[in-house]
Amino acid sequence: MVPLARRNLFVEKGRFAMSVAGVAFAVVLVLIVVSLYRGWSDVGRFYERLPGQVWVSQPGTSDPFHSTSFLARADARRAASIPGVRAVIPVYARHIAFSRRGKTLDVFAMALAVPASLRSSAGTYWLPRGTIDVDRVLAAQASVGVGGTIDVLGRRLRVIRIHHGGNSIFQTAFLNAGDARALFGIDGLVNFLLLDLRSGTDPARVSAFVPRVLPGTEAHTAVQFATSFGDRVTSGFLAVVGVLVGIGFVVGGAVIALTTYTAIVERAREFGVLKAIGARGGFLYRVVLEQSLIVGVLGSALGILATVLVTRLLSDSVPEFITVLRPLDALGVFGAALVTAVAASYVPVHRIERIDPAEVFRP
Amino acid sequence: MSAEPLLRVEDVSKTFGSGRTAVRAVDGVSFVTSGGEVTLVMGPSGSGKTSLLSMIGGILRPTAGRVSIGGVEVTSLGRRALPAVRRELVGFVFQTFNLLESLSACENVEIALNIAGLRGAAARERARRLLCEAGLEARLDFNAADLSAGERQRVAIARALANRPRLLLADEPTANLDTGAGREVMRLLRELTQMKGHAAVVVSHDPRLRRIADTVLRLEDGRLRQPSHPPHVRVA
Repeated sequence: MVPLARRNLFVEKGRFAMSVAGVAFAVVLVLIVVSLYRGWSDVGRFYERLPGQVWVSQPGTSDPFHSTSFLARADARRAASIPGVRAVIPVYARHIAFSRRGKTLDVFAMALAVPASLRSSAGTYWLPRGTIDVDRVLAAQASVGVGGTIDVLGRRLRVIRIHHGGNSIFQTAFLNAGDARALFGIDGLVNFLLLDLRSGTDPARVSAFVPRVLPGTEAHTAVQFATSFGDRVTSGFLAVVGVLVGIGFVVGGAVIALTTYTAIVERAREFGVLKAIGARGGFLYRVVLEQSLIVGVLGSALGILATVLVTRLLSDSVPEFITVLRPLDALGVFGAALVTAVAASYVPVHRIERIDPAEVFRP
Repeated sequence: MSAEPLLRVEDVSKTFGSGRTAVRAVDGVSFVTSGGEVTLVMGPSGSGKTSLLSMIGGILRPTAGRVSIGGVEVTSLGRRALPAVRRELVGFVFQTFNLLESLSACENVEIALNIAGLRGAAARERARRLLCEAGLEARLDFNAADLSAGERQRVAIARALANRPRLLLADEPTANLDTGAGREVMRLLRELTQMKGHAAVVVSHDPRLRRIADTVLRLEDGRLRQPSHPPHVRVA
């Protein structure tokens, strides 16, 4: 079979390259938005990485980031009596805004009073007094490295570790529990209790049991907090994502349709010749479809490769830009781009239908 | 030369527009031609030559009259059946060659075979053979845009003959060619018509084409005048 579609495209190499680049740009736009969405959806996983599987809080708490909670410190002792609980970790957590070099920094500060029995497994979260563990976004914003110091509300803290996990809306720092109590100004109170369960214990059953031992409290599993947090972040973001993804596909589809349409208008006489020598509609439509798909496939593949590079470059240069590029998302966008390419061939096909083969007799 | 007419044109007319602006481009034209014959239709510009050719080839539908090719009444066929007529019964040669510029000489012939359903090596081989018959064995892989005018017209003739049509229709085939190339194209049309046994209808201003014609018809204001080349002319 004569590769007419390919020849028609490659005869104008500059325009062909621009069309592929246009589709690639649209795919990059869509994939970066989707990757950002995935990255932000995963923010809640932070709660699952902490030691402990059940959180005890004041009633009406959605998650520690979005609501505050106060419990009596003495509740920790009673919580330890709940069947299946191996250890209780008092948690101090709140947003702190502080100035550094003329810039206001906002951080979600947490302190986990990790008992001695858990220090071997969860020692990362136990910090000596006067130290702080910040995420890399906060470190970048505060221009501080390990060993440097940050003054937080009049208290000088030395950075002993930098962890991953921050993004443009959520930066975290871990403090010593004593420092946190002093900074937050709460004595005799804790914000949350984090229950570390014995192996094989069902967190949901423990959650259900908590209010019986600690009246006036409620319990959430770490998974529930993670999901609740993810839902809150993404529910506000989802509509924006939908609009941007839609714009991306419209741009990509328009580029494909315009390229194919222009190639056909410029070669209308040749399509007329093919009609005159007996080409059926199906033969001509296949040429159009092939042209659209070539631009769609090459543009999408280039777009996916570009997205991998762009997200890597951005995560290095802009730490707040947290993206998660899933292979399945890339595959989905690739498939959707092909569907768009097929849809985009409708306009050129319609143009071909209107070409009169009698035109070929005109000199 | 076959005695049975291969092409039968009976009282064919074509009117463009309607009412006071109506133009009768072809008016009651009738003639027949047989296999192996070249029929030349001459006439001034606007005399209806190209409209007549378009109606014979199933590109334009006559207002009245009938056209039959090899016993198939083309004018009674529906719109969807006409591409098959142009694919299987008729081969076209155009004044401006109408080759596909992005394809090579060989691919221009091969695509006509692809359209008729012949694919792959068989199509390629047949396209090469036809171009060799047209004396283009050294130009097979040249891009159409890189060929001379005479070479392009020979490619167009090879393309027109690709699907073994019963009838070859040529519109001013020498108009854009110099004397030498024109002579070569005329020779090719004559030889191939006799060799392959199809009929050819050539419309042209070019008086040189009289030399290869078995029949010469003169069209004026859409009407056929007395044939000017007596020996083979037969009016239906």
